[in-house]
Amino acid sequence: MPLDYPIHEATLANGLRVVVSPDASVPTVTVNIWVNVGSRHEVPGRTGFAHLFEHLMFQGSRHIASGEHFTRLMAEGGRLNATTWFDRTNYFETIPKGAYELALWMEADRHGHLLDAVTQENLDNQRDVVKEEKRQRYDNVPYGTALIEVYAAVFPAGHPYHHPTIGSMEDLDAASLADVHDFFRRYYGPNNSVLTLVGDITPEEGFAAAERYFGHLLPSAEPARPAVPPLEPLADPVRVDRPGHVPNDRLHIAFRLPVDNTPEFFAAGLAIDALGGLSTSRLVQRLVRREQVANSVQAHAMGFVDGVSLGFLVVDVADGQDPEAIEAAVVEELERFVVEGPTEVEMESAMAQSERSWLSALAGQEERADLISQHVLLHGDGQFVNTFLDRIGEVGPDDVRAAASRWLRPESRAVVRHLSVRDEEAVA
Amino acid sequence: MSDVTEVVDRTLDDGTPPEPPVQPPGAWRFATPARHTLSNGIELVAYDIPGQYVISVRTVLPFPLSVEPREVEGVASIMARLLDEGTAEHSPEEFAELLERKGIALGASVTDGGLGVDLDVPKRRLAEALDLLRQALAEPVFPEPEVDRHRKTRLAQIEQERALAPQRAAQEFINTFFDGADRASRPTAGTTESISALTRQHIVDFHTERVGPTGMTAVVAGDLTGLDVVTLAEDTLGTWRNASHVPAPPATAPRRAVDAARVVLVDRPGSVQSELLVGWAGPDRHTTTGWAAYPVLGFMVGGSPNARVDAVLREEKGYTYGIRSVFRPRRVGGLFLTSGSVRADATVESVRLLLDLLASGREGFSPEEVRAGVDFISKTAPGRFATADAVADEAVLMALDGLTTDFTTRTLEAMRRLDGEQLTAAYREWVQGEWTIVVVGDASSYADGVRALGVGDVSVVPA
Repeated sequence: MPLDYPIHEATLANGLRVVVSPDASVPTVTVNIWVNVGSRHEVPGRTGFAHLFEHLMFQGSRHIASGEHFTRLMAEGGRLNATTWFDRTNYFETIPKGAYELALWMEADRHGHLLDAVTQENLDNQRDVVKEEKRQRYDNVPYGTALIEVYAAVFPAGHPYHHPTIGSMEDLDAASLADVHDFFRRYYGPNNSVLTLVGDITPEEGFAAAERYFGHLLPSAEPARPAVPPLEPLADPVRVDRPGHVPNDRLHIAFRLPVDNTPEFFAAGLAIDALGGLSTSRLVQRLVRREQVANSVQAHAMGFVDGVSLGFLVVDVADGQDPEAIEAAVVEELERFVVEGPTEVEMESAMAQSERSWLSALAGQEERADLISQHVLLHGDGQFVNTFLDRIGEVGPDDVRAAASRWLRPESRAVVRHLSVRDEEAVA
Repeated sequence: MSDVTEVVDRTLDDGTPPEPPVQPPGAWRFATPARHTLSNGIELVAYDIPGQYVISVRTVLPFPLSVEPREVEGVASIMARLLDEGTAEHSPEEFAELLERKGIALGASVTDGGLGVDLDVPKRRLAEALDLLRQALAEPVFPEPEVDRHRKTRLAQIEQERALAPQRAAQEFINTFFDGADRASRPTAGTTESISALTRQHIVDFHTERVGPTGMTAVVAGDLTGLDVVTLAEDTLGTWRNASHVPAPPATAPRRAVDAARVVLVDRPGSVQSELLVGWAGPDRHTTTGWAAYPVLGFMVGGSPNARVDAVLREEKGYTYGIRSVFRPRRVGGLFLTSGSVRADATVESVRLLLDLLASGREGFSPEEVRAGVDFISKTAPGRFATADAVADEAVLMALDGLTTDFTTRTLEAMRRLDGEQLTAAYREWVQGEWTIVVVGDASSYADGVRALGVGDVSVVPA
């Protein structure tokens, strides 16, 4: 179905790209800012820094006290947060219309004048908070480090995606106030950011507000570096074993994929779905339903911009089953898929579920604004929300088979195995 | 001089414009649904939300978990998971394929309030989706191989839950807080023992006796322009009959254990964090003094990085990524829960500070806290209930509690009239210094310190 969310674009004199997408269905406005900096820009010895920096953006700026960003905007009915990922950092709030200019005023203050307020005390406190975030989400969770091990196995040392966004404890410890100043000066500025406004405003109101609150900021960020050269699929299989106290064995079977927002990436994503992302996927049918050797199979494709993306299967091994035999079955299905491609039913299902999940993603103003910012910042494509379904609709079964035969060959897999060790075995 | 010129005059030296004034939002109320009782008794509630192209369908059937036979507790949950695993007309694989090809997402679950079956589907597929929903509810056949698979999957899930600190803490909490004779003291989806005892016949019997159209509410939310939802529902869900359906008994208040006020340390040697769960009884939505105070109290105490708890434990001390407090209503009675994880070597100090902070609410809340709490909950409502799935979820939450979304609107109106005295009184009604305290972590490193706090008898149990 053709989508027609209104998209109005403009660029301020200081380089800030602004998108306004009116939607009067709810009396709120979503303010969404994407900054072109993520963990892919981090240097050795400073992993985790982009994310730690994002925390400092809530600790006050020239005209805003520490913590005020949350307290002021929440008291006006705002729901807000920020996240950091490999490719970017985003800041966002959804707020009643009558307070959206306050949100813009506060955002402009921290995006323009953060450094006035950064202190050693705030840095030390948020470093502690981030270390607890790392422990809570990765270190104190069974299988919590699996994806970190996948990144390291799939991408070579020094590559932008080799290390995780959360970083390492040692590097978090090493972060200094000087790093904060250098990072802000290099990456933060209207010329390295996108501002999207979705909600109960007109394009004229939105552009005028963007100019009023951000127009005076200087284009202070350094020019963005070009993308790193593309990676080929892995030449040989990689295996990483992590024996430990986990409830059952779990396999992450990962592949390099082509760069995001290309027909080949969309085709590879549909291949991943057909293999393991649907309840009717062939690996689910075989391993979970028929042979009952796995408790579950999941599949994901993560699109990136720096020359490569990531796809992976997660297989939860059923009690008493042999992970070697399950991996061999996965290899067998990959070999068959590479030759035969998807069935008609797999294609239809993958397309139908892609359509529903895309329409669900666009249903709320928050996620719609986030998707608009993403595609303007990383791909220069403001209309992506309206054209994505047509673009994947153009991908045929031959394209899916071709993408699989290039990127999902068994020899190009990296396997991270979390294997359950009973206490008696550990002693022996 | 005009106002506009004055504004320009106040522009700051660095070019920053003056802080803009905030205009208060207009009145808001929850969307008004169309209601219709289908011929078989299902209460149909339809919310037309233009522009929401994915339709959310939610069906709920209230029953208390006490209707499950004691020896096979969890039968309701396993039954729910099997509803789309084979029907009178379709094999499990055929049914899955029909859902996937139409872009339908279907899920079923059981809570302490009853059974919920959910479906999301692109608008043009609604009729087909409703018929598949009817088949799942009315004609599941529970094939033996699928029963066996879901039993094994639940047993594996129990082990996963044991390994996850928040889930392990929750399990120990209900085991400690509720009387061991009460269903509420045991996991909704069953234990290793009860699931191992479960047979196909138990599931068939439970479905026959406990799942029928009587008492069911079906919510349809989304862009309904051009759809005759009543006819679509009548032709599908409305054709379901179940003469064997036994109406559910009313829910009763769960009994608290006589020794609920104590500390349990779940020992996980080597943990780099300690998971804290501190709780006690709380109100349900029918509380005579009014539910409106409790979402606000939860927010003021532990709802944001600058709420009372995290202002100290996160923003001042850096012990945690975040701790949250929530008043969680059940069908009858409720809980007030505060939970989160802290650095292992700060466990004793965190427990001490947390209990002090929770107690501090009894001394009152500042006008600024009250205003911010009321405004956050009430002014975020239009955005929180903007999408079809959020509207449908709220509607079935209310239906499970014998309420409608008029309650949501009335609660928000009552909230705006709350003052500090009323909020403090509401907090004091439930927070009186008695707590069930669960800590999951490396008990050997802090058991003595927790004992020395003198906040209750301390026992240590294995993970």
